[in-house]
Amino acid sequence: MKNQYLSIDFDSTNYKRRILWKIIGLVCLFLLVALSGFWIGEEQIEANMGEKHLSPSLDHPFGTDWLGRDMFFRTLLGLHLSWKVGLFAAVISTVIALTLSLLSSINKFFDSLVTMLIDLFLSIPHLVALILIAFVLGGGVKGIVIGIAFTHWPSLTRVLRAEILQIKSSEYVHISKKLGKSRMWIIRHHYLPQLAPQLFVGFILLFPHAILHESAITFLGFGLSPEQPAIGIILSEAMKYLTMGMWWLVVFPGLSLFGMVVIFDALGNNLRKLLNPN
Amino acid sequence: MKVNNRFLLLSVLIFACFLLVACASQASDSETDKKKDSLVLAIGSEPTDGFDPTTGWGRYGSPLFQSTLLTLDRNFNVQPDLAVDYSVSEDGLEWTVKIRDDVKFSDGEPLTIEDVIFTFETAKNSQSVVDLQNLKKIEKLDAQTVKFVLERPQSTFLYTLTMLGIVPKHAYSENYRENPIGSGPYKLVQWDKGQQLIVEENPYYYGKKSPFKKLTFLFLSQDAAFLAAKAGQVDIVSVPPNLAKESISGMKLIALDSVDNRGIMLPFVKPGYDAEKGIEIGHEVTSDLAIRKALNICIDRDKLVEDVLEGFGTPAFSVADKLPWWNEETVFEDGDIEAAEQILMDAGWRKNADGIFEKDGEKASFTLVYPASDQTRQSLAIAFKQMAKEIGIEVNTEGKSWSEIEEVMHSTPVVMGWGSHDPIEIYHLYHSKYRGQGYSNANYYSNKKVDQYMDQAIHAITPEEANEYWKKAQWDGETGFSALGDAPWVWLVNLQHLYFVNEHLNIGEQKIQPHGHGWPITEFIADWTWEE
Repeated sequence: MKNQYLSIDFDSTNYKRRILWKIIGLVCLFLLVALSGFWIGEEQIEANMGEKHLSPSLDHPFGTDWLGRDMFFRTLLGLHLSWKVGLFAAVISTVIALTLSLLSSINKFFDSLVTMLIDLFLSIPHLVALILIAFVLGGGVKGIVIGIAFTHWPSLTRVLRAEILQIKSSEYVHISKKLGKSRMWIIRHHYLPQLAPQLFVGFILLFPHAILHESAITFLGFGLSPEQPAIGIILSEAMKYLTMGMWWLVVFPGLSLFGMVVIFDALGNNLRKLLNPN
Repeated sequence: MKVNNRFLLLSVLIFACFLLVACASQASDSETDKKKDSLVLAIGSEPTDGFDPTTGWGRYGSPLFQSTLLTLDRNFNVQPDLAVDYSVSEDGLEWTVKIRDDVKFSDGEPLTIEDVIFTFETAKNSQSVVDLQNLKKIEKLDAQTVKFVLERPQSTFLYTLTMLGIVPKHAYSENYRENPIGSGPYKLVQWDKGQQLIVEENPYYYGKKSPFKKLTFLFLSQDAAFLAAKAGQVDIVSVPPNLAKESISGMKLIALDSVDNRGIMLPFVKPGYDAEKGIEIGHEVTSDLAIRKALNICIDRDKLVEDVLEGFGTPAFSVADKLPWWNEETVFEDGDIEAAEQILMDAGWRKNADGIFEKDGEKASFTLVYPASDQTRQSLAIAFKQMAKEIGIEVNTEGKSWSEIEEVMHSTPVVMGWGSHDPIEIYHLYHSKYRGQGYSNANYYSNKKVDQYMDQAIHAITPEEANEYWKKAQWDGETGFSALGDAPWVWLVNLQHLYFVNEHLNIGEQKIQPHGHGWPITEFIADWTWEE
């Protein structure tokens, strides 16, 4: 018996190591893209009428737009904004999800309340809820960030709630209760450690969702100034120049967005494998 | 054998297809042999408010379905249309108009003086963009003559007569805007909202007949319109400057000069609060005359035309360039960085370490707002920002929606656009009594002398006399609202209106086009011809 466990353990460490390397690689790649935004200044995306409509070259790997702005740096800044919005949204959503799922563990009333909330939000199409919230808040970066942050919690909440239900019924929790431990103590020592992997993976997997929604909503405008380099805005502007054959305005930013989302997705999935091999 | 059979069948089918295609193309060839009497146009946006002149339809260009009492010809001289004659009393208060007696609406009913009276009364009561508050009463003198009595003399009433299409009293209802009946050259056949508008020749039209019996207006996005033109499906398409550089086989590019201008409205007063209207007004930096003048002089308008409009435009120095009431003296040498810096130095501004001018601790810096939906205005704002930076004025640009702009336009510079064939626009933009009234004079400009000149222009009896005063209001040698005087605006460019037109279609001479791309081009449709 013991041997069997050992061998599995042995295999899985190897497996885990491989995944770990993958994760490190992905994180590096992603940091390179997302953090580069901090070093890009106004000067690099300034309009330069002398260099309008240039196709991709060594000087401008992604070409330039109708104002002669360098699309490479604009795209990087767009990804940077996406990343910031994604981060904020993921943090807020995770906090909400955790709070609500813990709330649901208190008693039947709170549980049905939370379930109702989840059902309510899941029954409204994601993008619609997002647009409504952003609209109410008057658009702009603030509206979009808050809108995205407050619409991505339901599915994670549902997962966490199920997890808590399971833990709650386990014997050691009952014993702790009988021993007179407070609810906070149980949460800290039983719930949180068990929830941590789910929480972490959920956090990472929220990113691609948030980023895609951010670009979708900035594509529609929504109070963001059109010179703000957001991927959605870049793409919607580029639409007007497609008929002129300026393909690079669409292809590169689109691919970059796609790449970013794929990186996050791979990151999340690998993390899940690492933390929860089942 | 079986395989062979199948092969044979297939080849017969293919052959049949070819034959069909050949027949089809032959059929369309013979169709074009007939005289072309219909046109497909994709020339701009759908008038969502419908076609009711009493609420504003037709004020830019011609109303198409209706006709007006007077018209302006290509040189902006007043010509009779429905009217045969008009006169103004000595005091400028009474306008007498005599109309033709042979005019019928498109439903065959005659157009009478009652219809004229009805139209002006309806327009006055509609409280719309058609401003007839000054019209005191309308008197019917006889079956063909009407007298308009004004509260105060108003020389621009003439232009109201050229813009307001006459509607039929007997067929006017709430749905009129969707089913217009009028005495214009065309009548509405079908309007599929969001898609197309089909009009047909009005058989009762009294004026010169157009050779085109049927017009179809398509409401397409700019890209779709351009592609439709490339596919040969439309005869006229309006295009933005960036697409005008492309070419479409079988079509020629026509660039029409306009007063469809773009400029920057600078808040004129010191920051404050208009308690009466409840709005924040004014801007510390732009309230300084030196800043406004320096900006006007440093901007290289030719470069803007070249860079932003791809060369399809003209430099703008006023709200009404090249119109009869425009003061030619207001044109000046621009793009002069040294002169601009000198003006700022003389006014006590000094450059700080970053190369930005400062005075009493105040940086020469402001935010410039533009409507986010308009790419041309965005480009202008960005180019303006760069030119201002060259002389040491810091401009931050920001795109906003129109509703957001309305909240900040009294205290923040905004990229605006105007351009009308009626000088009343000048009155609304620069007269102190319109301060803070919607978009008119939103920057709180006021100058007693200018007000006085404009009042004189309004009270003038002949258009010539009025034009003299309009010109003086711009610049009388000492003061005025142009850049030579108080410079409350930085006018940048006049757009050219761009159309790809079928090579066979000759649309003749056009007027200087007003604000609003598209509909004005139909004004002289009677003179359009199809040349094989």
